[in-house]
Amino acid sequence: MELSSNLMGISLKNPLILSSGPMSRSGEMMIKALKAGASAVVTETIINEIRPNVRPRIINRGEGLQNIRLYSEFSLEEWEREIGIVKEHGGVVIANILAHSPSEMAFLARTVEKYGVDALELGVSSPHGEGLSIQGCDPLNLYKMVKAVVESVNIPVMVKLSPSVNNLAALADAVERAGAKGISAINTVRSILGVNIDEMTPLLPTYGGYSGEPIRPIGLGAVATICQTVDLSVSGIGGISRFSHLLEYLMLGADTCQLQSALILHGFSLIREILDELQSWMEEKKFSSLGDIRGKALNHLKSFDEIVLEPKIASGLQDCPLPRCTLCSDSCTYNALEKNEKDLVEINRELCTGCGLCISICPRDCFSMAWNG
Amino acid sequence: MPNIREVAKRAGVSVATVSRVLNHPERVSPQTKDRIDKIMVEMDFSPNVFARSLNLKRSNSIALIIPDIQNPQNMEIARGVERVAHQKGYNLLLCNTEKDREKEQSYIRMLMEKKIDGIILAFTLLLQADFDEIQKKNIPIILFGQNVLKKNISSVYSDFKEGAFIAVSHLIELGFKRIAYICGGEDHLENRDKTLGYKEALLKAGDKVSEEMIFQGKDDIDSGYLAALKLLKQTPRPDAVFVANDLMAMGAIDALRTEGIRVPEDISIIGYDNIKMSALIEPKLTTVSWPVYKMGLISARILIEEVENSGDVKMTQNIFLSPKLKIRKSCGHEARVSEIFD
Repeated sequence: MELSSNLMGISLKNPLILSSGPMSRSGEMMIKALKAGASAVVTETIINEIRPNVRPRIINRGEGLQNIRLYSEFSLEEWEREIGIVKEHGGVVIANILAHSPSEMAFLARTVEKYGVDALELGVSSPHGEGLSIQGCDPLNLYKMVKAVVESVNIPVMVKLSPSVNNLAALADAVERAGAKGISAINTVRSILGVNIDEMTPLLPTYGGYSGEPIRPIGLGAVATICQTVDLSVSGIGGISRFSHLLEYLMLGADTCQLQSALILHGFSLIREILDELQSWMEEKKFSSLGDIRGKALNHLKSFDEIVLEPKIASGLQDCPLPRCTLCSDSCTYNALEKNEKDLVEINRELCTGCGLCISICPRDCFSMAWNG
Repeated sequence: MPNIREVAKRAGVSVATVSRVLNHPERVSPQTKDRIDKIMVEMDFSPNVFARSLNLKRSNSIALIIPDIQNPQNMEIARGVERVAHQKGYNLLLCNTEKDREKEQSYIRMLMEKKIDGIILAFTLLLQADFDEIQKKNIPIILFGQNVLKKNISSVYSDFKEGAFIAVSHLIELGFKRIAYICGGEDHLENRDKTLGYKEALLKAGDKVSEEMIFQGKDDIDSGYLAALKLLKQTPRPDAVFVANDLMAMGAIDALRTEGIRVPEDISIIGYDNIKMSALIEPKLTTVSWPVYKMGLISARILIEEVENSGDVKMTQNIFLSPKLKIRKSCGHEARVSEIFD
């Protein structure tokens, strides 16, 4: 059974990569991730001009995190050492770099290439400041930026894209035309996590990037779009904290996955857990390699025209195992479900339009879809 | 005695890593440094110091030549250059030309005599013959600021014509009809570029360029003050002013206030440079920002790279950074979102 994966021509022992963020802020941290089982690491964002990070800058609600500006506080010169340490350890290092013009990005790219990194990830879609609106949303600017870098280095280049755009396919296409070998998606989502209603202030003092479990559906959607648009090595990011999440990304066409927020919340040991569970699942399902599952769900994505309209409605057990539960009847938008005093669920076949919500609402999986008549 | 290659082989690292341990120990992990140090002791290896100094022929000093030490913008360049120079073990010599070509030329002669390792020329007034002289001596130089690219000379530059164009276009979009201009000293190319940008923005919007609306300043606070007094004599009075740098803009705001004119209610002002003080004065100055500190960092990085790789085939790098509008309050613009994201 093989978990080996390929990132832009670089062989990896598994598909799980530490993404750019505070958990990859130093050589020491990146080595910890590698020791925990990650197959590669992406550095925290390396920039020419460092500024001290604001305090506080990261907050949590549930499994979601909002951060405001998390770039590296190490200077470009200091990164030579941090990257050197990881290379001496024998790890695959991808440098995440951020600059504001094609020539500046190319300069940074050449510099970190000399430090020995294996690949580059261009952080053009950070939700903080101007980057997103100038580079991350504009296919022409993005093309120029990526092309300048690709022409300056001999290592593969990956571009990190944001979901906070309405032209993802055009951006992915620009990245491919410019000669990049990969795309990673998604970056964090521009957000305000909440407002303190007693103080009447936002929880953090400016717009930030939202990450963690809640953004996974957005990440899956973006990765599917990218995989349907370009023939590049895709690295899925966003809300991965279990092996099943990783599988979801792979089945939608990703070659590798990156995670960060779940590691911030639960520690590096999660990497081993995810890999062990992935291995067990693969063995149980008798898959010999990740190639057997990659992109399989992507092929089932259809346009509305292709979806055959079947006359199906809800069907299910009449005897509810949860006496006081009324989730199904409360949420039935079409008033087709009713629970009587004897805890029997009645489905009105005339009113049910087959929306299917009750199937995912019911905690005991009582419902399914069946042909009407 | 063993040579560096044998040390590298024994340590299982590249020659470059051993070389880093010798020349830049700060760039190597402490563990690796300790291990290689130990191997060097075991093998009785000591680097040939005499040969190295012959080989390197370096003074470990670089110079930064700036036009005006009083302009905080030039100090930002110096801050960036110094930061990198210090981190890489170089001394920095700072030369202030007071916008005088002869003084700049005499500094260059002095630096060459001192066997300076490399020079960053900010907004230089040097002539081609001067460049030829420096290049004959094989001293790496970096051109900072102006949008002039020279063959075989790396540069870190911005576009002042574009900066002026976006500033004046912003005023036009806000609906101003009589936009005056306080320009800087015309010896300097970047000031001539700003004038071109001012005119181009007006012409593009279908407005006329009137020489009577252009007032000469000398890049400092006082000349901005005086120019503003002059422009108030125009009838009808200008409703907005583009000022070629923030220092002059601050002088102009002071003059207007003295004359009882309100900014931005009566006249809007837009500056250039985004010096730190521009966010502290009242009203906070809308201006054109260009990443001058970062450009200082990059200049020093490229210069030192060229100094240290002087034997290799040189790669000329031209790094361009765009100017952008920094919207604050001196043009009566209230949209906070652009202030946060742009």
